[in-house]
Order: sequence, then structure tokens, then C-alpha cells
Amino acid sequence: MWMIVNYVIWYLFVFIGIVWIMVMLMNKDVPPKKIKGSALPSVSVIIPAFNEESTIAKTIKSVLSLDYPRKLLDIIIVNDCSTDKTGKVADSFRKTGLIRIVHNERNRGKGYSLNRGISMSKGELIVCMDADSTVNKDALKMMVPHFEDRYMGAVTPALKVLNKKSSLESVQHIEYIFNVFFRKMLAFLDAIHVTPGAFSVYRKSVLKKIGGFDEDNLTEDMDIALSIHNAGYKIENELGAVSYTVCPDNWMTLFKQRVRWYRGAIHNSIKHSYLLFNKRYGNLGMFYMPFNVMSIFAIVFIFSSILYNVVFYASDFIFKLSLVNWDIEVMMSKLSLSAIPDLVFHSITTTTFLLMMGLGLGIGMLLISFRFVGEMDSGRKINYFFYLLIYPFAIMLFWTAALLFNIFRVKKRW
Amino acid sequence: MTKEYKKRIDYKILISSAVIAFLIFGSGVYMGFMFSKERLSVMDADLQKITKDVQNFQLNFLFFDILGANATCPLLESTISNINNEAYDLGSKLTGYASGEDIRDYSNYQEMKNDYARTLVSYWLLAEKMKGSCNLGKSTILYMFSDECPECDNQGFVLTYLKDKYKENVLIFAVDGQLDEPALKTLKNFYNITSYPSLVIDGKLYDEFVSKDMLEETVCGIIEC
Repeated sequence: MWMIVNYVIWYLFVFIGIVWIMVMLMNKDVPPKKIKGSALPSVSVIIPAFNEESTIAKTIKSVLSLDYPRKLLDIIIVNDCSTDKTGKVADSFRKTGLIRIVHNERNRGKGYSLNRGISMSKGELIVCMDADSTVNKDALKMMVPHFEDRYMGAVTPALKVLNKKSSLESVQHIEYIFNVFFRKMLAFLDAIHVTPGAFSVYRKSVLKKIGGFDEDNLTEDMDIALSIHNAGYKIENELGAVSYTVCPDNWMTLFKQRVRWYRGAIHNSIKHSYLLFNKRYGNLGMFYMPFNVMSIFAIVFIFSSILYNVVFYASDFIFKLSLVNWDIEVMMSKLSLSAIPDLVFHSITTTTFLLMMGLGLGIGMLLISFRFVGEMDSGRKINYFFYLLIYPFAIMLFWTAALLFNIFRVKKRW
Repeated sequence: MTKEYKKRIDYKILISSAVIAFLIFGSGVYMGFMFSKERLSVMDADLQKITKDVQNFQLNFLFFDILGANATCPLLESTISNINNEAYDLGSKLTGYASGEDIRDYSNYQEMKNDYARTLVSYWLLAEKMKGSCNLGKSTILYMFSDECPECDNQGFVLTYLKDKYKENVLIFAVDGQLDEPALKTLKNFYNITSYPSLVIDGKLYDEFVSKDMLEETVCGIIEC
């Protein structure tokens, strides 16, 4: 029984890997959209900020240096009642004359701040910009032409990490590059399910139509993307537009961030469950969201069974050692270099082949995505090893924790 | 807004991916299955060799009546422990195979287990006989286990430890007592073995888990420790 579940999960992961490769092969020759020099639309950039004193100045500067006509650009900072100097730093940019700053009277969350910004914005397009992120100068100009398609609801950038010094940061860098590739593939399928907070562009009329951002949502960036699909619009990805975000530099912060993301993902999968197996939503409804929901269960299943096995075998082995009075020396005496080939030969099972296959596919996908994104030299090789063999366990732990927190309704924290 | 555009479903991509994934996945499972067969055939070759060795041993034993103890015993003694090491190794591989493999060639495996048990029983009988005729300074342990018994895993571990510690001085014969083999049944009836684990140590039956200390105490009555 469990064996069948295991095999089904293996098959699904091989399947998804092949889908990405197929999508890439089918779309790699599609020429990039030509910018028709038609009239540029006006754009409002909204920067919601809560306790971001150390990063917000950099964010504002990068937005100010966007290559876009000044008179079409409108920048709004919404200070969500920060308890640090965020407000002061923001106010210091008032003198540029391009920026409007509003302060929430109490802490209301990101969704509310964005909606407040939207309500006072002048642009036809809305950019949501996290206060810990920066953006390349040419990004906006590359994203805007996609809105010539009247059904375009939002455009996402290629999101990369700003800091990649430590090993943990480098691993996240690899993960983000992988996601850049992945999001482009989703765009080909018209199935982008998240519009990240770092420089996603929305059509204001669409946002108005769906009632703006959900103000009580852990991941409003996923909720809004699914709502855009629900309203009958599409979401595109522009690889040439690059934005950068700060990733957690320690395990605890990473844990908190991911549990929040994944709890939000679970919540929004339930909230938007009408999408599942609904032909109206195309690839998103018939393939990607069902796959997403299934993979949550798969991840939690795999993680629990690995955990169970590790705990079971470890405790069993320790108990057995106690039966021979911890005389490890004798047990080790028969181990020799010449015994290894025989030992390996007799431990290879079907699972070993599947594991090797999975690893091969993983390495292949990684190479393909890095080539696709054009980011081949990314630090030390050891980090790839770390990413492929160790990081998945952390991600599985985060998902499991997120699911458990949701089931037991642990209080949400932003 | 006049009319919604229709979101498409890329059946072509999805179905062809499903097929390709099935082929890749299937070939992985197939390779695993073939390899598992290969493992089985390697074990089978080991078994053939041991069976032959035991037959040779049996043949050598026949010289006993003509040549007498002085000439035959040294010959027998040199081979007996050698066979035992190989047989014990193969036994643990056979049990390991069952626990590690999801998809296996059941019919061949079952047959091999029976062959192994038969070989082992005749080998144990020879060893017992030799103990009487050759004054063999070795301890023999016949160990009967079953797949379901919870204590058997631990007993096996302790016995492996004992084997590693006293090497050729302890001869262990581990047999799956639940196999449908006439020779086994005779043995079980004779010693009145009804539960697992059961051990026959130098002719005496222990019908429960025997600890390491207890085993060493018993064994050390016969061999030098």
C-alpha cells in the first residue's frame, strides 16, 4: 500500500520535470514581444513598508532611477505604523517631489497598505514594491508593453536574491534562479499562481474589479494572482525585468518566512479551490493547481515517512547495540575496504534506481534552468550539492510545519 | 470588456509528458527489477557453491570409516568453519533481500530459501556428527526464526555479534523455521520447537530470546574464551 503511494509520488515528480522540459522546448523559439512605441501608460509604484529602515532608502533610490518618463511615474510610500525610523527615512525623500508618503495610524498589514496606496494612485498600472527589494533600471519599460494585450492582468519580473554571501543565501539564490525559470514556464502555460511583492505590475482596472488585495491573507501575492485568473485575465512573466530581494540569512528567519508562505499557499489553495479541475481556468485549473495541492500532500507524506524511518531505524539500532553491551569494536572488525563492493551490491534496490533517476533529473533541470536564465557561474559548486541533497529536507520540514500549524490553527503572525 | 478570452489547456504537452514520464519511470523500475534479479542470481551462485561444499564435506565424511579419525578429522576441520562463514553471510543476505526489495522475483526467491534451508540442515547434521567423532572444539548453534516474530531481529543481531567475536569457533546455522521442508519438520518435532526464536545450542533447546551474556556463558563452556 505505502509502496504504491511512494511510486505514484515518484511518478508525479518525474512527470512534472518532463512537463517543464517540454514546455521549454515548445516555447524556446517564441520571439520576445516587440515594444511598439505607442503611448506609455502612467504607472503608480506603491511601496508598503513596515520596519524596513535599513533597506527602504535603497528601494526608493532604485525606483527613482527607473528609466521611465517622470511625468508618468507616481510613487507612493505607505508606512504601516513602523516602530523604527522607516517613516523618517521615507520622509527624507519628500523633497524629490516625486513621492507621496502616507502613514497608517495603526499597523494594518500589507494588504491594507497596498489598497490604501491604490485608492490614492493616479496611474493606469500599479506596481507593488516591497521595501526590502530593488529593481533594475530598465525593468518597467520592458514589462509595460505586455499590457498592450487587453487581457493582461499582471506582469511579473525575474526575481533574484540580493545577498548571496553565506552558504544558506547561496542556496536560496540557486532556488530563486530555479524559480525564475519555473515562473517563465508557468507563464507559457498561462498558469502563474504568484505575483511576487518585488515589482509585480498590475492593471489597476483589474485590481479594482476584483476588489483589491485581501487584507487578511498571509500571502496576498498568491491570492491576488489567482483572483486575476478568476476574473478572466492572464499573467505574464518578463525575464528581462530583474528585481532583487533580500533573503533570510539564518535558518530561524527562513523557517518563519517559509512557514508563512506555505501556510498562505495552503490557505489560498483552499480559498481558490473552485479552480481545481475547472476547464475554465485552462492549464492552471486542470493541471497546475491540482498538481500543487497534490504535491503538498506528497511532500508531507515523504517527509513523515523519512522521519519515521530515520527515528525507527536509529532507535532500533541503538537498542540492538545495548543488547551487545555497546561492544561496537567487534561489530566494526568485519568491516573492511574489500567488503564494500559486496555490501553496496547487495544494498542496491529499485528505490536506489529511482533515487538516482530523481537526482539525475534534478541536476538536469538545474542545468537547463541556469542556462535558460543565463546565470551559469553562481559561486561554489558545493552549494549545488547542498541545494539538491540537503535543502529539500528543510523545505519538506517547512511544508510539514505549515500544514500542521494550519490544521491546529496556530495564531497567524506576519 | 466585451468577451473573456478562453484559457487554453495544453493537452498535447501534458499527455506527451505523462507518456514520457511513464517510460522513464518505468525504465527505472524495470532496471531495478533486473538488478534485483541479478542480485538473486549472484546469491544463487553462492548457494550452489555452498551446497557443493557441503556435498564434498559429506563425501569426505564417508572416508571416516575407512581412514579413521586421525586422517579424516584435520581434513574436515579445515573446511567446516570455512563453509559456515559463507553460509552465514548468505543467510543474512537472503533475509536482507526480502526486507529491502519492493518488487522481487517471489517464486525464485522462495525456492532459493528452501534450497538454502535444506543445505543448512544437512550441514548442521554433519557438524553435529563430527562433534561426536572428531572431538571438535567448536560450539554449534541452530537458530530457528520466522519473519513475523518481533524478537528475531534482535536475536539475529546478537548472533551476528557472537559470530564476529568468536569467528570460526562458533558455527551458526540460521534457518527460517516456517519453511515447508520435510527435513525441517523432522528437526522441529525432535526438539519440540513450536515458537520463535528457538535456539539449539550444542544439543540443548532454548525456546526464547537468549541474551548476549547467556550465549557467551553457554558457548564458553565448550570453546576457549
